[in-house]
Amino acid sequence: MSLALTLALRGLTLLGVLLAVLALVVVSLGATGFSDRVLNAVIREQLRTEREVLARTIRDPDQLEQVVAVRKQTLERQHGLDRPWYYRLPDAARRVLTLDLGEARTLRSASGSARVSDIILERIPRTLVLVTTATIITAVLGLWLGVKLATRVGSRLDRLVSYLSAVSYAVPAWWMGILLILVLAFYMRVFPSGGMFSAPPPVGGLRRALDFAWHALLPVITLVLVTLGAWVYVVRTMVLNTAQEFFVTVARAKGLPEGTVMRRYILRVAAPPILTNLVLALTGSIGGAILTETVFNWPGMGRLYYDAIRSADEGVIIALTFLFTLLYVGARFLLEVFYVTLDPRVRYS
Amino acid sequence: MRPKDVWRVLWGSGTGKAGVVFLGVLVAVSLFVLFTYPRDFGLHRWNNPAYWADNPKSAPPAWTRLLGAKGVPHRLLEAAPGPVAVTGQEATLTTFSYEYSGVRPPTFISFGLGEVRYRELPLVITVVVDRPDGRSALLYRHIVPGPRPGETGPYTRYAETSFRALLSEDPAVADNVASFMRQEFGLEVTPQRLRGRQAAALFGTPEEGSEFQPLPGGYTFSVRVLAQDAGDSVGQVKLVLGGSTHGLMGTDAMGRDLASGLLFGFPVALAIGIITALVSTVIGTFLGIVSGYTGGRTDTLIQRSCDVLNNIPLLPILIFLIFILGQRLWLVVAILAFFGWPGLTIVTRSMVLQIRGGQLVESTRSLGASKWRIMFRHILFQIAPFVLAQMIFFTPAAILAEAGLSFLGLGDVSIPTWGQILEQGFQTGAVYLGYWWWVLPPGLLIVATALTFVLLTLGLEPVVNPRLRSVR
Repeated sequence: MSLALTLALRGLTLLGVLLAVLALVVVSLGATGFSDRVLNAVIREQLRTEREVLARTIRDPDQLEQVVAVRKQTLERQHGLDRPWYYRLPDAARRVLTLDLGEARTLRSASGSARVSDIILERIPRTLVLVTTATIITAVLGLWLGVKLATRVGSRLDRLVSYLSAVSYAVPAWWMGILLILVLAFYMRVFPSGGMFSAPPPVGGLRRALDFAWHALLPVITLVLVTLGAWVYVVRTMVLNTAQEFFVTVARAKGLPEGTVMRRYILRVAAPPILTNLVLALTGSIGGAILTETVFNWPGMGRLYYDAIRSADEGVIIALTFLFTLLYVGARFLLEVFYVTLDPRVRYS
Repeated sequence: MRPKDVWRVLWGSGTGKAGVVFLGVLVAVSLFVLFTYPRDFGLHRWNNPAYWADNPKSAPPAWTRLLGAKGVPHRLLEAAPGPVAVTGQEATLTTFSYEYSGVRPPTFISFGLGEVRYRELPLVITVVVDRPDGRSALLYRHIVPGPRPGETGPYTRYAETSFRALLSEDPAVADNVASFMRQEFGLEVTPQRLRGRQAAALFGTPEEGSEFQPLPGGYTFSVRVLAQDAGDSVGQVKLVLGGSTHGLMGTDAMGRDLASGLLFGFPVALAIGIITALVSTVIGTFLGIVSGYTGGRTDTLIQRSCDVLNNIPLLPILIFLIFILGQRLWLVVAILAFFGWPGLTIVTRSMVLQIRGGQLVESTRSLGASKWRIMFRHILFQIAPFVLAQMIFFTPAAILAEAGLSFLGLGDVSIPTWGQILEQGFQTGAVYLGYWWWVLPPGLLIVATALTFVLLTLGLEPVVNPRLRSVR
């Protein structure tokens, strides 16, 4: 199978995921009467502005009511409210896909816009900064520690880290965040308890960047702490399994330096399974990001989720659900590309 | 592998043993709660502010005082006097004594009445305090509400909802304390200036600069009653001197006893984890065996659905569905179970494919066994230990997912969970105020419960992975 075909097949599966989520969102919105309520609110809003305009020209209140009622019927037909909800599915899907979900109830973007797409789009980079930084740190630390442990299996350090990684599976990211806030922000007062900048934010590029980093440090540490355990364990186990293969023994017998054996013979072969395990861990880190942002009041998409739930802002919740899926599927595909380039067997089988 | 062998492996390892002990504790506490708690605990007790009104708010656990924290103990004094003995003149109904250590006055004082009956004229109830310095002060006077138009005697008051007055905040009490200060100490102080310091004044003597010097010693609160008819009665009298600490685990901002909420979380967490794991394991194993054994179009269909479901990010979907469909715990469990099975199906299928080609299946088939008999008598039993380990492994995931969802404010209010307690703590700012007793224990319990199943999984690893089995 060629590289392109393999990737196309993976992409197709992920597209299926996206469509499944879209269908799930749209159908549950329609079947529970949620979309009716949203559309009715849109129509009410439009009628209110139109009535104000009409009131200037039509003086007779009865006549005004009549005109508005006719207008309301036209609008309802336009939005498809005169037919059952399943006729509106394609339109609803299009609205979710383009984030055309009207206006939020109480949430506003930094510039004061109430449009759902404005509110969400400005938050995406803030979430990405947090998640990618944490992922890179975890990957580097995890590889280094995992390889180190694999070279001294059964040592006290190895057993300790194995137990710690088991424990870290049981510790929810958000509670770890609360612990860090309680200890480092409340008792020791060395870190801010939340937010992205101090209030008021410092002026000057460098000072602003430092302030940003100071605020980002605790959330990043939290994300790293809860995912590092699994990384280290996976890397250690995979490296260990590969190190027992004959070709590694042969490489050593040839007198190759240990560093070269580890890099070129063991890690190269162990990389695909390591990657597979990390792909599986991706779902967890998306959930972790949502909750960690909430705890640290980090104004990204995760915190927006929390605020939207609090104010029952359905448009924002729908958009976020879809965007998080999109983000996940995108990251997944990126990892698939890595995987296919790393493991030649996938291409030629 | 027989069940006896599974048990031997589990009990043979340190982690497995620890997991079994932990699980025993969890189950024991859960059973205790199931048998002693009322069924409607969540709605009618936990989320009912009136039930917790007499508790101190945001108070740390009582045992912190043993560790040196300064504070006053919580005192709840109750009496059930019954029929009034003396009529026509004021007489003592009951007395409460309170020993004041002088560290700090009670955080609040509240007075309550219940089940008051009178034949004709309403009762007049008075609270008088006798102080250790020999002085006594009138604190509070309450006239039980009179007959309503059209109502005939005897009259019953405060039967369903008892009467409660917060003496430490009451303006009438402030008047009384101010006039007591004027008469006894010659201190000219307006009732307004005493607001918030009524308890300090009552339990102290005035000193320079409008401060009050604590007066330690024995205080007696007498509740007196003026009744006109012999049959009149007072069913219940309650005096609460609020402490600064409370109970085993402290209280939250509503005064709720956190220990009772935390205990209630045990069976709930176990139920969420076990039911979700059980359902998704049954679905996953069933579909995995069918997919692997029958092959063909069924196999393709099941595997493609697995691929899609397995790739859906769980938390966003869970948030969305619970937000749209309503905050109910059984829905959370159902959704988690629905999205939880694909991983197991994929692995089960690959194991079944191996077994299908084996001699056991071949010979059974040649004996004329049906497809279903082979799948669920012969194949299932071979992969059973693995399925069991997977089920245990999946249990903490469900508990953690529910906790996360509750933490986002999408918990089921009728069933308090550890995640909800944490969420309320976080939302009221307990983290930033340093109310550790509110945020640490629920989190620790979540971790401990999840860890129990992780330990069990580790202990069962030799069952699943034969290479790890030790040779005896």
